[in-house]
Amino acid sequence: MSSYDGKLVMMANQIGRFYGPQKQVDPATAIATHIRKFWDPRMRAAIVAHLDQGGVGLDPPVHKAVERLKAAP
Amino acid sequence: MSLVHETDYGTPVSKSTERVTLTIDGQQVTVPAGTSIMRAAMDTGIQVPKLCATDSVDAFGSCRLCLVEIQGRAGTPASCTTPVAPGMVVSTQTDRLKKIRKGVMELYISDHPLDCLTCAANGDCELQDMAGAVGLRDVRYGYNGENHTRQEKDESNPYFTYDPSKCIVCSRCVRACEEVQGTFALTIQGRGFESKVSPGASFDDFLSSECVSCGACVQACPTATLSEKSLIEIGQPEHSVVTTCAYCGVGCSFKAEMRGEELVRMVPYKDGKANRGHSCVKGRFAWGYAHHKERILKPMMRESIDQPWREVSWDEAIDRVASEFKRLQQKHGRLAIGGITSSRCTNEEVYVVQKLIRGGFGNNNVDTCARVCHSPTGFGLSQAFGTSAGTQDFDSVEESDVIVVIGANPPDAHPVFASRMKKRLRQGARLIVIDPRRTSLVKSAHIEADYHLPLRPGTNAAILNALAHTIVTEGLVNEAFVREHCDRDAFEAWAEFVAQPQNSPETVGLLAGVDPAAIRGAARLYATGGNGAIYYGLGVTEHSQGTTTVMAIANLAMVTGNIGRKGVGVNPLRGQNNVQGSCDMGSFPHELTGYRHISDDAMRETFEVLWGRKLDNEPGLRIPNMFDEAIEGRYKGLYVQGEDILQSDPNTAHVVKALSSMECVVVQDLFLNETANYAHVFLPGATFLEKDGTFTNAERRINRVRKVMTPKTGMGDWEITIAIAKAMGFDMHYDHPSQIMDEIARMTPTFAGVSYDLLEREGSVQWPCNAKAPLGTPVMHIGGFVRGKGNFLITEYVPTDEKTGPRFPLLLTTGRILSQYNVGAQTRRTANVAWHKEDVLEIHPHDAEQRGVREGDWVRLQSRAGETALRATITDRVAPGVVYTTFHHPDTQANVITTDFSDWATNCPEYKVTAVQVSPSNGPSEWQREYNAQAEHSRRIAAPNSAKIAAE
Amino acid sequence: MKIFVPRDAAARAVGADKVAAAIAEEAEKAGLDVTIVRNGSRGLLWLEPMVEVETPAGRIAFGPVKRADVAGLVAAKFAADHPLCAGRPEDIPFLKRQTRITFARCGVIDPLSLDDYRRHGGGRGLERAQSLGAAATVEEVTRSGLRGRGGAGFPTGIKWKTVADTRADRKYIVCNADEGDSGTFADRMIMEGDPFLLIEGMAIAGFAVGASKGYIYIRSEYPDAIRTMERAILLWPIDGFDLEVRVGAGAYVCGEETSLLESIEGRRGQVRAKPPLPAHKGLFGKPTVINNVLSLTSVPAILADGAKHYADLGMGRSRGTMPIQLAGNIKHGGLFEAPFGLTLGELVEEIGGGTASGRPVRAVQVGGPLGAYFPKALFDTPFDYEAFAARDGLIGHAGVVVFDDTVDMLHQARFALEFCAIESCGKCTPCRIGSTRGVETIDKIRRGEKVEANLALIEDLCNTMKFGSLCALGGFTPYPVSSALKHFPEDFRRPLPKAAE
Repeated sequence: MSSYDGKLVMMANQIGRFYGPQKQVDPATAIATHIRKFWDPRMRAAIVAHLDQGGVGLDPPVHKAVERLKAAP
Repeated sequence: MSLVHETDYGTPVSKSTERVTLTIDGQQVTVPAGTSIMRAAMDTGIQVPKLCATDSVDAFGSCRLCLVEIQGRAGTPASCTTPVAPGMVVSTQTDRLKKIRKGVMELYISDHPLDCLTCAANGDCELQDMAGAVGLRDVRYGYNGENHTRQEKDESNPYFTYDPSKCIVCSRCVRACEEVQGTFALTIQGRGFESKVSPGASFDDFLSSECVSCGACVQACPTATLSEKSLIEIGQPEHSVVTTCAYCGVGCSFKAEMRGEELVRMVPYKDGKANRGHSCVKGRFAWGYAHHKERILKPMMRESIDQPWREVSWDEAIDRVASEFKRLQQKHGRLAIGGITSSRCTNEEVYVVQKLIRGGFGNNNVDTCARVCHSPTGFGLSQAFGTSAGTQDFDSVEESDVIVVIGANPPDAHPVFASRMKKRLRQGARLIVIDPRRTSLVKSAHIEADYHLPLRPGTNAAILNALAHTIVTEGLVNEAFVREHCDRDAFEAWAEFVAQPQNSPETVGLLAGVDPAAIRGAARLYATGGNGAIYYGLGVTEHSQGTTTVMAIANLAMVTGNIGRKGVGVNPLRGQNNVQGSCDMGSFPHELTGYRHISDDAMRETFEVLWGRKLDNEPGLRIPNMFDEAIEGRYKGLYVQGEDILQSDPNTAHVVKALSSMECVVVQDLFLNETANYAHVFLPGATFLEKDGTFTNAERRINRVRKVMTPKTGMGDWEITIAIAKAMGFDMHYDHPSQIMDEIARMTPTFAGVSYDLLEREGSVQWPCNAKAPLGTPVMHIGGFVRGKGNFLITEYVPTDEKTGPRFPLLLTTGRILSQYNVGAQTRRTANVAWHKEDVLEIHPHDAEQRGVREGDWVRLQSRAGETALRATITDRVAPGVVYTTFHHPDTQANVITTDFSDWATNCPEYKVTAVQVSPSNGPSEWQREYNAQAEHSRRIAAPNSAKIAAE
Repeated sequence: MKIFVPRDAAARAVGADKVAAAIAEEAEKAGLDVTIVRNGSRGLLWLEPMVEVETPAGRIAFGPVKRADVAGLVAAKFAADHPLCAGRPEDIPFLKRQTRITFARCGVIDPLSLDDYRRHGGGRGLERAQSLGAAATVEEVTRSGLRGRGGAGFPTGIKWKTVADTRADRKYIVCNADEGDSGTFADRMIMEGDPFLLIEGMAIAGFAVGASKGYIYIRSEYPDAIRTMERAILLWPIDGFDLEVRVGAGAYVCGEETSLLESIEGRRGQVRAKPPLPAHKGLFGKPTVINNVLSLTSVPAILADGAKHYADLGMGRSRGTMPIQLAGNIKHGGLFEAPFGLTLGELVEEIGGGTASGRPVRAVQVGGPLGAYFPKALFDTPFDYEAFAARDGLIGHAGVVVFDDTVDMLHQARFALEFCAIESCGKCTPCRIGSTRGVETIDKIRRGEKVEANLALIEDLCNTMKFGSLCALGGFTPYPVSSALKHFPEDFRRPLPKAAE
């Protein structure tokens, strides 16, 4: 994993650790929404590409969220 | 143009709602109960002679000039200390009073030098005025008696002199230092005829004393005893213009007192609603950078950063910027360039920069320096309350009963607000300080925190959860407020979460290093002590859980019902003068003005119609993302207005790498800052004295900035941006910044009512300012939250990945000091260096001893990001295991040490937690030496019409 | 045999300790069984050390006793025919003419024996107050007509009522024992001679207004009084009323009530402007009764015996008794407690016996260093607040200082201004600068420079200081100056003494 991808994975997981425990929302949806709202398209494309290569390092709800991102960029 | 004269009512305003009617010199007057006779007289235009009274401090009754006669009462009471009473009949001028006043003035003048013509206060001296007012014609005591006229001046303070020979011992300075500033640095030494104003102990001069040079004493002095050195040198000003300070987020109003285009002095403006006539050393005195010799006044360019700078015309510079940016977009794509707006520039300037980027560059790669300070505030509060801003005005603190300060050091970073807060604390409000350091607020003159929770850096969220745990499990929830104003389901989910044992003070206390009993005590006090107000700073936001902590603060305010009225609220103390404004103005890559997401088609289209350009509907890059993309080779051009990203952003090595990877870096600033070392075009900026505009302070207050002198560079910053836009084919035309504000108001619902005309009338307004609130909104969320119901979010504590270990066993946290501002670009170029010449590392005695470090030793400070060296000072203000430094000096390069870890939601850097090691050192590090050599090389400016290279 | 040797500082100053030690020593040698009680002073200062011996016929006084007299006295077994015998103290005319209410026990009892205090009627005032209730206690004090004995003469009951009616979470009783007037010593005497009386008075005040804490502010120049009060406080703890002694630091102005409060709070002794009155915002900003020692020590008797008993004494609006202190150049100096109404002449000539020097009396200063100088022509002035005020004088703390015909009144006027210059807190302009300019101007008059113009200037200065000063220090300094100018004008217009040839 490149250091660039590593950083994105870390950032996505950080988001995941906030939304994971929330009770009012579905974590994966909330994570995907957050990334969609605040990440530049290139970053989003990069994390989706990372998912396509196996998504190493993505925590479970984040993994799910990136899948949703891929389905609806 | 003339001088802005402010009426001195002699005594402070009474806040009583009861009204009292009395007769003064035959005129009926009705005033609030508790008003002094002096002030009531002034209300009707009757000026009772006075010297010791001034309306910034409580009545004192010492000069004995303001005596009056009251029908039916014996004697001649002082009108300053005597309150009005119903039906009172007062005479301010009788033969008896005239005789006493003349007698008192005769005594004053018998001990005063007769050098009026050469005195700095000539023309602005209350003693002179009063001698005239009482008709003193003769001093029968002569001038050969005992006197003070040969005392020596104290010129130690760089900005003002103390000349005791001119002192009339009215104690206004002493009282201002106590009542207005709250420092208690001054006293009267000796008694009787020997009485003398003295800064602290007898061996002290002003500079060595506890004086913080706020200027309150100078402001209060009725004679030339305390005078600005600039006034002594230049002479009395002939006109003045009210404007807004360009330092911190308090946004103090000042009168720029001028002689022609020369600034004589900056005087705090009494009607300024943020500062109420007070000031600090920066705003009051540290404006000399505006004409510092290092200021760059001509545009400059170079092909590459190893070349010297070459001065060019404005046209040439602007053309270069436009052509380079266009070239880069052609070669690397539309997204390959972007820009950064400045929280130091005006709203109007910020607006046109983001407009240039969105409309002219055709992308949303715009961000602002708020990214690295308060971005978590915006996001966190919008999620909880629905608005990205603090909830109160500064006046609100006057009604607070319990004040909680988290991760903020107002006496250093927001001094003028700190003074107002300390005044309230001296009146009896209780205080809770949550900070790893024992800041001066924890214990200072007449102030002591009820609780200080000295938490381990990085454990904010855990501590706040523990406070919430106490409130929820001990039955201290404000049920009525929660029921009425908050989302019930969210509250219940949250309450269940905080009640869990891992959030108990006992568990959290262990990991945060805080006494659980103190956590419980603080929680009970905040929940039950009356109006509870939370003030916080970058110690909250600049963490990997910055946003989470902001939400946790919002949760605390909601669960206790401390929101929606005066005296309470959630109050971010903004770092820079226009952080709030730059965020409001659509500086963030994902949103347009008023915090509206760029993907909102209907809203975006209104801008597209107005600007005549199609706008990108995808969020752009944030500052740290820009660096990453630059290193990846996808981001090539950057326009930076008024921010020194190299010095202020974390992980300097990373920033250097990013800047070096770009092909066109354009820096617009007053000085060749550190970022400029890697720049290709330099556009000289204008100071706040040289342009019109507005700043929005931490309380959402929109204040006018007024031009008092012609830009020394020929261009205001907004004009430069417009010129670039035009050169890139995006013509935006404004004749004056007021037209930019008109556009902002038209396009932004929360600003709909704002105009320069309104600001002219009202002085300032707090947004939202629109049809619903035509004069602005001092306190938000009254009667309900902007988002509808208050939202409790679960704020689980997630320890940062930045962990101590055997290699880096200490935690570094950073902050500011009073006399310096941010990266110091301005303050380092003023006499403020008298107080803070260099950054030093605070280290606990225990840690110092283990490492053989003594006071003043050079130490090496290392983290996984880099290393630097600075001098150590040994103090128990920091806990064992924690070290602290400021980041004002580029020589220190504190950000070489900080890492690129950041807040989960906003990428706000985690400045406040870095694992480090400290070891003895002989002097500056290898990095510092190389850096300085590079900087020196890079700052060369080629002499005009000559091949010779002159070192700057 | 029970022998009383005063422990009062005035007695000790003239050798009472040595006398007491000698009595013990000589008695032991002679095999005489004696118990020595160190009582307070009776206030007959020319007889100090005045030793009293208990006999079946009552106490017999001897004085002034020197150490050298002791062996003889012991040998004579203190027989009544000893030349130093003054007979029964109560029969000595100076004491006999008095009406001792406040000082009834002073000199009689062992000051630090609570039993003695109670046996002599102490404690009844507090008991009665408690049975009456707080409001009725205030009413009782009001009805007694008691006025502030510190000098201003403000009705004590009204002051108490103001504090009682002011709502606050905390209130204070402060006793002003910063007795700094020249020629005064009554506060000191009562604190050294009957300290429980002050405690009782303050406890009554605390009960009446709802204060649970009291401070006694004693000048540092009174070490004996400080020690005595501190010990008495330990000996008589009062439920719900905590007492503390605070010691001054030598500033006369701290006897001014607001400066005194500043001093207790730990600040410079600087006068506060009024309003707010201490009764509304006093110590630490809380409602505070601040009373002089003599006011507070008058209260227990008023409560014990009823307001009427007290109010029946005195004249005009000056009710009850006043402990007058006779001092200066006077034959029979001491403490003379009597109902208001005696004339100044009676006090000085009859009771005081004229001057100690035997020369004619020329001037009498009543009310401390800032009191007016009265010539003999005004000796018919009755001792009464209003009567003195009518003649541009003041009673103050009832110190009477006598001068014979060698006094230089220009010098006395200068002294008043100089005193003010030294003691001024420096806050208000008339006092801070005026006092120094006053001294300089008097010096010019002495040197014969523009005498009439400078005398006019002094008159103007007195006007400025009297009506312009913030407190009584500057405001009353004109009294001695103006009175000296008015009654003794010849002293200001003397030709310069010719230089010696």
